[in-house]
Amino acid sequence: MRFSRPAILGICALLGIFILACSESGQSANKLKLAFVTNTAADFWTIARKGCEQAASELPNVDVEFQIPSDSTAAEQRRIVDDLMAKGIQGIAISPVDPVNQTEMLNDLSKKILVITQDSDAPQSNRACYLGTDNVAAGRQAGGLIREVLPQGGKIMVFVGKADARNAQERFQGIKEALQGSRVEIIDLRTDDTDRVRAKANVSDTLVKYPDIACLAGLWSYNGPAILSALKDAGKAGQVKVVCFDEEDETLAGVKEGTIYATVVQQPYEFGYQSVHLLTKALTGDRSVIPASKQQIVPTLIINKENVQEFSAKINKLRGRKE
Amino acid sequence: MKKEIGTFALLVILCIVVSVLNPRFLAGANLQNMARLIGAYGIFSIGLGIVIITGGIDLSVGSVLALLGVLLSIFLTSWGWPAPAAVIVIIGLGMALGTIHGVLITRLGLQPFIVTLCGLLFYRGLARFIAKDETKGFGSAAGFEKLRDLATGSLLGIPTPLIVLALVSIAMWIALHRSVYGRYLFAVGRNEEAARYSGINSRAVITAAYVISGALAAFAGIIFAFYTNSVSPSSHGNFFELYGIAAAVLGGCSLRGGEGSIIGILIGTALLQVLQNLVNLLGVPSSLNFAVMGAVILLGVVGDQILQRRSARRHLAAPKTTSAPKQVSETRSG
Repeated sequence: MRFSRPAILGICALLGIFILACSESGQSANKLKLAFVTNTAADFWTIARKGCEQAASELPNVDVEFQIPSDSTAAEQRRIVDDLMAKGIQGIAISPVDPVNQTEMLNDLSKKILVITQDSDAPQSNRACYLGTDNVAAGRQAGGLIREVLPQGGKIMVFVGKADARNAQERFQGIKEALQGSRVEIIDLRTDDTDRVRAKANVSDTLVKYPDIACLAGLWSYNGPAILSALKDAGKAGQVKVVCFDEEDETLAGVKEGTIYATVVQQPYEFGYQSVHLLTKALTGDRSVIPASKQQIVPTLIINKENVQEFSAKINKLRGRKE
Repeated sequence: MKKEIGTFALLVILCIVVSVLNPRFLAGANLQNMARLIGAYGIFSIGLGIVIITGGIDLSVGSVLALLGVLLSIFLTSWGWPAPAAVIVIIGLGMALGTIHGVLITRLGLQPFIVTLCGLLFYRGLARFIAKDETKGFGSAAGFEKLRDLATGSLLGIPTPLIVLALVSIAMWIALHRSVYGRYLFAVGRNEEAARYSGINSRAVITAAYVISGALAAFAGIIFAFYTNSVSPSSHGNFFELYGIAAAVLGGCSLRGGEGSIIGILIGTALLQVLQNLVNLLGVPSSLNFAVMGAVILLGVVGDQILQRRSARRHLAAPKTTSAPKQVSETRSG
């Protein structure tokens, strides 16, 4: 019998995959299999991954599969979840991209395995609990910072990637709540569809249209650097106050040099770390770790000039790079 | 030239309307902001326009911007390369990618759409992999401040991206409208087979167009990377190829190839940026951003089409011109 060359190559490749798959499943036959699914690719998740890895190293019988969708769509998450189910995972911590329309998928999943949502919640679903930030509270923190930096009041503009994203709405909501009764006036919420060029142009245009603007707030991670960069181009860095979210390098550099008043940061490391611990405990019999409120809130922190040095040292260590 | 007049008129009208509604439109700071963006978008739009003139398309531009942006950051900050070396390598890489596209299209006879669509996916993935899904930044640009100033600064009040665009435009205008290469390019775009039979090395002409597009994308990539000062590999440059294609088509390039001009592409780019700017300056809700853009472009194109038809009909109706019968036969055969 003669095989053509492509056929032989194909058979070899299949054999190789088979052997690899066997050796992998052999290793983790009696381990608890957990999965952590993010919503998109971002630095944020690099840190969450460190938390997962740390927790997994503390727990001897736990394997954590960390999955990043290549595009942030519900369809891609569905594909990942299906693959994970085929691999036989027992618990999952997922950040749903589109909570309302993924409720059914999460309900299906909850019938078979333990499901918690992290970072972004799907409150209508049967998930065991939500672990993550309370974005309204984070918004209130930011609103408090804006009041602090504008004691006399003034006009502010808010920037975000997509206004219909849940965390954007909640953060904006929190800011509005905190500013009620103050003399701060929110002009508008400008969106950029996560295009950084657009994000910066939005800020530049705002500075032209409202020369008397007192403070700029950025709700998503890249909005802080975009605001700062536009202010520097316009020669207004330091004059116009900035309050933003998350911990991109430029944001932290801005806080250090005083051009950004403060930034409100989440603790993605804790998302990863606490998710893995919670899933493990719940799956090994201790269901009491799941709070009655079905919410485990990881508080947001305010990073300002006083604690920025310490915080960025910690973050750099988590990201595995030198200062 | 006729084709650009419609778009140019639309641009002028739009500018007048916006500056009446908000005089700050003409403020120095706003003009500088816009000039900077027109410069950056214009550079790669010209490259795309040239590819479109050959009857091709380049969908990979946005991903190329991300890939080269990520590499530029790594070269300069992680590896500490001297700025000139990094710039030369980046532009060389852009040209290399263009060469690959060109060779695949001309030697293997693949469709430009497929080749560059694969590029769009491949380079995006590569960028994310190389950057390990982390945002790559330039920090305070220690060691390459000159390059950053060159990419984002101003010369006599004119933002450098616009100056680069002007130089590129002049060079490309000469290449396209005053050189043998330009003649060949249009000929190949109109009818590649005919061009080949008349002795034009159509493969080389088309490949060169992709190389030019790659090089210009690299130039724009450097400018965009420093404009945002950080490159997030998953979203940097997303959909930018469509801005380029829109600018080229608005400026009179035909997607069927063989038509187009540098001036038209510049007008198209400017129009797109003015549209973005007016959304913010007039306080239009951001959610309507794309709707405004789509509506105004459509309006312009429809107006242009109606005007052209009317003038064509007038030509036909003119009884005494000697060219009239010839045109009738042309329209019948077409």
